[in-house]
Amino acid sequence: MTNIGVILTLIVIFGGLLWLLVRSISGREVDRRIIFLFIFVSVAAPIIFQITFKERATPVVEALFANIDGLPAGSKVLISFDFDPAMAPEVQPMANAMSRHCLEKGHKIVFMSLWATGQSLMTTTLSRVILPEFPEKVNGVDYVNVGYKAGNEGVLNVIVSDFKKMFPTDVNGVPLDSTQLFRDIRSCADLDLIIALGGGRPGPKEWVLFVGDPADVPVGVGVAAVVAPQLYPYFPQQIVGILGGVKGAAEYEQLLIATHDRFVDMETPGIDMMGPQTLAHVVIMAFIVIGNIAFFRSRSKGGSK
Amino acid sequence: MRFLFGLTVILALLLGASVSAQTEPPVTDSVADSVEVPAIPPPAPVTDLKALDTDDDHGHSVTLTWTKSVDAQTGQNTVNGHQIFRWYPAMMDSLAGVDSLKNMRQDIQRAQSANSVFRRALGVAEDALEDLTSGGRGFDALRFTVATPQDDSTFVLDRAFVEQALRDTVATMTTHLPLLPDSIKGLQASFEAAIERLTEAHQAYPEGGSWNLVGLAAKGDTSFVNSGNKDPMSGDFIKDFTDLYYRVDVVTIDETIRTESAIVGPVQSEGQWFNGGRFPVFWAVIIFGFLTMYFVSRARKGDDLYVRPLAGIEAVDDAIGRATEMGRPILYVLGLGTAADVATIASFTVLGRVAKQVAEYQTELIVPTYDPIVMSVAQEVVKSSYLDAGRPDDYKENTVFFVTNLQFAYVAAVNGIMLRELPATNIYMGKFFAESLLLAETGALAGSIQIAGTDEIAQIPFFIVACDYTLIGEELYAASAYLGREPILLGSLKAQDWAKAAVIVLGIVGLVAANLEWGFAKTFLEYFHVTN
Amino acid sequence: MSRTAVIVFAGVVALFVVSWMVKAMVLADVSETNIVDAFMVTVAAFLTLAIYSFLYKDNPYYKFAEHLFVGVSAAFWMVQGFWTTIVGNLLPRLSEGLATWFQQPYQGGGYDLGVFVFPYSIMYWIPVILGSLLLMRLSPQGGWLSRWPLALIVGTTAGLNFVRYLRSDFIVQVAATFVPLFGRDPHPWQGFGHFFSNLDLSASGQFVALLSNWVIFIGVFCGLIYFFFSKEHTGAFGKASRVGIWILMITFGASFGYTVMGRISLLVGRLTFLFRDWLGLIS
Repeated sequence: MTNIGVILTLIVIFGGLLWLLVRSISGREVDRRIIFLFIFVSVAAPIIFQITFKERATPVVEALFANIDGLPAGSKVLISFDFDPAMAPEVQPMANAMSRHCLEKGHKIVFMSLWATGQSLMTTTLSRVILPEFPEKVNGVDYVNVGYKAGNEGVLNVIVSDFKKMFPTDVNGVPLDSTQLFRDIRSCADLDLIIALGGGRPGPKEWVLFVGDPADVPVGVGVAAVVAPQLYPYFPQQIVGILGGVKGAAEYEQLLIATHDRFVDMETPGIDMMGPQTLAHVVIMAFIVIGNIAFFRSRSKGGSK
Repeated sequence: MRFLFGLTVILALLLGASVSAQTEPPVTDSVADSVEVPAIPPPAPVTDLKALDTDDDHGHSVTLTWTKSVDAQTGQNTVNGHQIFRWYPAMMDSLAGVDSLKNMRQDIQRAQSANSVFRRALGVAEDALEDLTSGGRGFDALRFTVATPQDDSTFVLDRAFVEQALRDTVATMTTHLPLLPDSIKGLQASFEAAIERLTEAHQAYPEGGSWNLVGLAAKGDTSFVNSGNKDPMSGDFIKDFTDLYYRVDVVTIDETIRTESAIVGPVQSEGQWFNGGRFPVFWAVIIFGFLTMYFVSRARKGDDLYVRPLAGIEAVDDAIGRATEMGRPILYVLGLGTAADVATIASFTVLGRVAKQVAEYQTELIVPTYDPIVMSVAQEVVKSSYLDAGRPDDYKENTVFFVTNLQFAYVAAVNGIMLRELPATNIYMGKFFAESLLLAETGALAGSIQIAGTDEIAQIPFFIVACDYTLIGEELYAASAYLGREPILLGSLKAQDWAKAAVIVLGIVGLVAANLEWGFAKTFLEYFHVTN
Repeated sequence: MSRTAVIVFAGVVALFVVSWMVKAMVLADVSETNIVDAFMVTVAAFLTLAIYSFLYKDNPYYKFAEHLFVGVSAAFWMVQGFWTTIVGNLLPRLSEGLATWFQQPYQGGGYDLGVFVFPYSIMYWIPVILGSLLLMRLSPQGGWLSRWPLALIVGTTAGLNFVRYLRSDFIVQVAATFVPLFGRDPHPWQGFGHFFSNLDLSASGQFVALLSNWVIFIGVFCGLIYFFFSKEHTGAFGKASRVGIWILMITFGASFGYTVMGRISLLVGRLTFLFRDWLGLIS
């Protein structure tokens, strides 16, 4: 069934592209809605037929994975959910994969958010991943959810020296002083790793500027694809690893599955999304080629556009 | 009796109302290793233990350094780690009785939480009473909550009883609650007095105190920072200007086999006025500030500071000419920035130049704006440009107009203008966000020449693909300085150029140093290290 | 409204009701609140479709969804602002009574000045006053008053950011360009044979490591030269500047590629919602 679907999809798409090529060479206009239709088919078909590919991790992703993997059990990791539902398809898979990885390695996690919209997404990770998959982990001992705090960079500027000044209690109003996890965390400097997830402002860059560099804490980032190129200059000195967009998430999931038997059957939204991505990218590349052929042809004919 | 019952009712209600259930940490029983370990000889102690106030901080912190024990990683290699001890006077310890700081802190916290709990309880009790007397809807709920734990068979739970109990509770609480804040203040005052005495208590060393574990260090470590909290209410409060004494123990895998170091002290912690670790930043500020001042003053004196011509700006002149020939208008978009954004300010200068030429050629200019303040500034800019060009009469009030400050509504309006008016040239300068491609694409479809400039890095690629010329980032500021010849802009542009030259020179020196591994390379690189 | 518009509208409403009912029936086995759940999923699906209908052409359904989104997000941020900034950050530091009223833990305390304790709460009246001044821009006469808090915001932000940016984006970044160009630890030079034999692009082989170091070196310096405005770009300087612009364009191209990936991800996210949560086509 899947194979027939794949073959049919490929025939439709590439047949269509051929038609487009012929049409553009003969100099006729192509309605933009046809382009939209192509993108729709190339994205929808792999979702329906669940076409996936095997990912191979790039060094920037591997570096972050190795960092989390190499920390001794009981290390304290902070995961900040600085994104909104618009970025969630890209960033939430990273959040889930890294939370799983940290808990599996016995690390303690502090969940927080600088974006008001991040809190509900954090609850999604807690209720869909941590509670069902790690029932043995205890709130307050293995992880603490301190919730959202307004103030953007101002919050970072305070927690770099005093965490409880900004977050006196966790999200349920339990004083952090009474939780086992926060007994030896006074400021961000007491953390072993910070994972900043996001892509807007405040986001990963602010974590590096206001916390990572001043407090000398390693920062790993998971970002929406749009901002990933802007973070590469910080690697590897100021950022230990970057997951850029869905591709980063998929690579991380692949590494997790390859190294931990427990996660072989886990949900892999990142890998699942790379199927549609790959096909859509191929189609877009074909558009670029067709567009250029048409452009140079019309120019050699001496015609105007 | 009735008061107690009332209280139970309220607490039951409160418990029912509060959702947060705190989970207790599980008791982990460590199973002792029953395997017989051969006796380990005690390791050699650490030597050269020194304690100094931590540099460049806000105080409340002491740094310890030492030379490793000969048995740490070398020798018998029996050292498993270091334990750092600090001497506490008895008053800091909870065992010393009611006067200890720890107990006083707890008393204050308990009294404060009692205060807020009882205040909430009073509110709940009053509401319940109100409920009961007004309609009795809540009575069933009360019975449900209270009836279960009762084993007293003679106990009659009727409405009158509950009501009386609630009345008594409210009355008792109303009389007692106002007294609580005063007693909290009393507790706080005695706590503060105790903190005052802390310095004195430390001076009594070694009488009446004990050693307390304050931290651990790995076997390879030779330093430890004992940083405390500055808040006296915090458990790890370290008082500044107070004599502190430290000791470092080397411990083996069997923690009972250990060797103490010599005691070091007294040492006092204190805050510094200046953070010496930030000197590189300080020097950078001074040098850059000086360069800016110098070039601004030169520009003010009328020195000719050279700025290279930019392709994007030269294209503006051509584009205006083209618009005149075609008899079509020019569309100028200032972006979504406010009048305070540098990019918008730079854009005003470019707008002034464009408006002046437009006035000279008598072409039409359209400036739709997104922000009312930007609109009024832009109106002034265009008006004075028409005046400069000697054609004040040609200026029309509705050249610059306000559209809306909803991002996509603005885009829709501007796109509409592009498709209706078919401007010969579209100029986008300022701050742009998600609308950049929407605008530029529509402009390209309409067949206009397009020139863009923005300092929003994420948007530059979109402009590059859809426009004929793009001013990339800083080029926009440079264009503004080039066109406006404003001394402050020119001066800072020049200063930035010098800063860039300095980066290139430093970069090459650093690169050479890093590649040839010269001795000075390390110190050179260290100078770039900035602490918090 | 034209006749066609009425028919289309009636069709959309009918489709909505049918979808709602079918979804409610499907959900009846798994959820007790199936009718509400089905309504929510159907609304979300229809709003998604309404937004995508813009790709065909501008239409009232798109406008409705867009305005709904703008209105809801404005309200969301207003409520968030009140409860997290004013109630969450300000009131607990301002007064114990207000903190108790809003059921927030009071964050009092004060500076001990020896003679008396200066309460922190007084300090927090300053932002209250400045914040109120900021609202003065709504008044035609008092508009100038809003410039004072704005000046404070701009000044403190510049000051705070200056040190951070100068350290993280300037000094550390300059230091990061000090890279080995000829093979040194952790990839010491092992001769030409090794250099040309290990060309695996994803490995940390010598060829890749050195190539990326050269790209960093050339990219940074030529990029800086492109943004150097005090000298005409001619001769060798002009050539370096050309290389700089090429490097910039490649960077922008990479950035563009990433953006395409991000946008496709959003589409995948929405389509997955439509196919899985609404239509139940995939599990």
